[in-house]
Amino acid sequence: MCLCAAIVGVFIFLRKQSLLGESLSHAAYPGVIIGVMLAGMFQVSDSQSLAIPLLIMSGAFISAIIGLWVIHFLEHKVKIRSDAALCFVLSSFFGIGITFASEIQSSHGVLYKQVQVYLYGQAATMTDIHIIIYGFFSVLVVGVVFSLQKELQVMIFDRDYAKSLAIPVKRIDTTIFILVVLAVVIGIRSVGVVLMSAMLIAPAAAARQFTNKLSVMLSLAAFFGIISGFLGNYFSIEGSLYLSKQYPGVRLSIPTGPMIVVVAAAICLFSLFFAPERGLIVRLIRIARFRYQCLYENVLKTFWRSSGQDGVSIESLAKYQTISQTYLHLILYQMSRKEWIAHEENGLYRLTTKGQQQASKVVRLHRLWEVYLANYLGVGAERVHCNAEEMEHILTPELEQELTLLLNDPKIDPHHQPIPPKE
Amino acid sequence: MGIAELYMEEQSQPVLQTYQLTVNYDKTPVLWDISLEIPKGLLVGIIGPNGAGKSTFIKTALGLINPLSGKVEFFGKPLKAVRQRVAYVPQRESVDWDFPITVLDLVLMGRYGKLGLFHWPSSDDKAAAIRYLDMVDMSQYGHRQISQLSGGQQQRVFIARALFQEADIYFLDEPFTAIDLATERIIVDLLCRLKEQGKTVFVVHHDLSSVESYFDWVIMLNMRLIACGSIAKAFNPQNLALTYGKSYALFDEALKLSQNKTTGLT
Repeated sequence: MCLCAAIVGVFIFLRKQSLLGESLSHAAYPGVIIGVMLAGMFQVSDSQSLAIPLLIMSGAFISAIIGLWVIHFLEHKVKIRSDAALCFVLSSFFGIGITFASEIQSSHGVLYKQVQVYLYGQAATMTDIHIIIYGFFSVLVVGVVFSLQKELQVMIFDRDYAKSLAIPVKRIDTTIFILVVLAVVIGIRSVGVVLMSAMLIAPAAAARQFTNKLSVMLSLAAFFGIISGFLGNYFSIEGSLYLSKQYPGVRLSIPTGPMIVVVAAAICLFSLFFAPERGLIVRLIRIARFRYQCLYENVLKTFWRSSGQDGVSIESLAKYQTISQTYLHLILYQMSRKEWIAHEENGLYRLTTKGQQQASKVVRLHRLWEVYLANYLGVGAERVHCNAEEMEHILTPELEQELTLLLNDPKIDPHHQPIPPKE
Repeated sequence: MGIAELYMEEQSQPVLQTYQLTVNYDKTPVLWDISLEIPKGLLVGIIGPNGAGKSTFIKTALGLINPLSGKVEFFGKPLKAVRQRVAYVPQRESVDWDFPITVLDLVLMGRYGKLGLFHWPSSDDKAAAIRYLDMVDMSQYGHRQISQLSGGQQQRVFIARALFQEADIYFLDEPFTAIDLATERIIVDLLCRLKEQGKTVFVVHHDLSSVESYFDWVIMLNMRLIACGSIAKAFNPQNLALTYGKSYALFDEALKLSQNKTTGLT
């Protein structure tokens, strides 16, 4: 089920309709109750029979479809905004379901237990029959989605274009919505109505962080879904065993459904922070490293400018940079380790020849860019300095090459300062 | 009929013909009684002020919007019969550029209509897609994610996708908006080449100063059809005043009044 939900979830996520899963799972609840009530009416009490899960599933399916239809009606005929329509259906259907549920609670206690199972999921008590039915539908859902992959891709990206290619947009839309309902209905037995939407969205959101290709995203989401299911089960069993050993008196156990969701959420969180390129932490690190590089090169330039004197003191360096003393010390320490500066006896710092070369590279880039701005883009000489301060850290050797060629290897910048030659 | 006769019959038909096309958005008219005929092998500019219905006209012709009344025919036949021969380049802003797809895959989309359900692009298709990407000078970006492209590059990829469809009629919605000069030159060259191959190209254009140099034929719209004809005949100061000017101020007033009366909860 996790696989099925994850795959369908990718498309909901990409359509920016993530609330839909939440809405539909809550809309399925009254159907569950009705299915159970019908089972009660027909005196089906044998929990191993096929009838109960089928009835419940059909009930859930029908009421979720009704919910879907109401959402569609509200959005297109009454022109209510999408999020309002989704929330309306979510709360009203769920409320109806709870009303029915409390009815049953008093009249059919045994059947009520069955209903509770669907609220929070109870994977542990699923029987083989459940697995066969759900497995069959899961395969069906995955198969349909897989074969419609490219049409879905065009439709979500550029709906008008898809229509212009004569892709049957409305029919495919309906099919996908039915598949979503199926995935939700299959899933609520193990994960429960309340948590179902997480299983649709979390694997998809996590997969998005790692790739830019739809096919890879689908496979990754499926993979995350499957892992969540597996690890969720594993941890709930092992965790329950562990807890019962530690606290034998109390009957503690970890329910499977929520555990699956916790694993899925953890994977999602990890991806959001640490995915290569898109992860938040990764980006922050990249930014910090770039800032450090800029500072570093600025200090180098300060050294270069004050060459001619015997050395530079820390105080005069600190005057030019707006950073703390400790940071400055750190940078100077790093530089002396690379043998770019030398620490004199009188407490001053001096550039070594290596350091000279590094510094003149940065200054060269800075002044080349100034010439480009002034001569080619007609920027006034007073203004080129600020922009060049930023660009000097970004220009690559290839760009430097191109600039040298384009500007005919200039020797003087707009402020009549000499441009250091290339090595 | 033999192939030769079919061909001759088609040569005599106008590429696009509309009959009293009227399109509404809710209860507000956007296009009113548009009847026109466009012969084959021309570069046609569609011009008019904002809100004049230029994009609506294209979308209606392509069957994306249902007209209130009127008919559209291509080569004398309805759209359904000639769909494969019509290509569409939508406005760049109508698309979600954050979608996970690479440049090459976007171009390949152009043949999804031809391939139909359950068929995937072959390696021939991929090779052709690369060739068309090369025509717009984007072949080195094949594996780039589309959100990393500049506006001009995005437009070029869109055009490559339309070229990939190898159609006879092309509709482009504001392709020259907010792009760099290099891209604009590439696009104009491509459109001229298409015309040389006998294709017909419709372009919604907003920059009046370039109309005469880019197009042979012009459709001037301001909710009504002001003029439709060659640049020499139709693109003159009187028609421009009618299209962009104040002569329709009364009509606008009446329109606003009717809008106020008919809007309800929307």
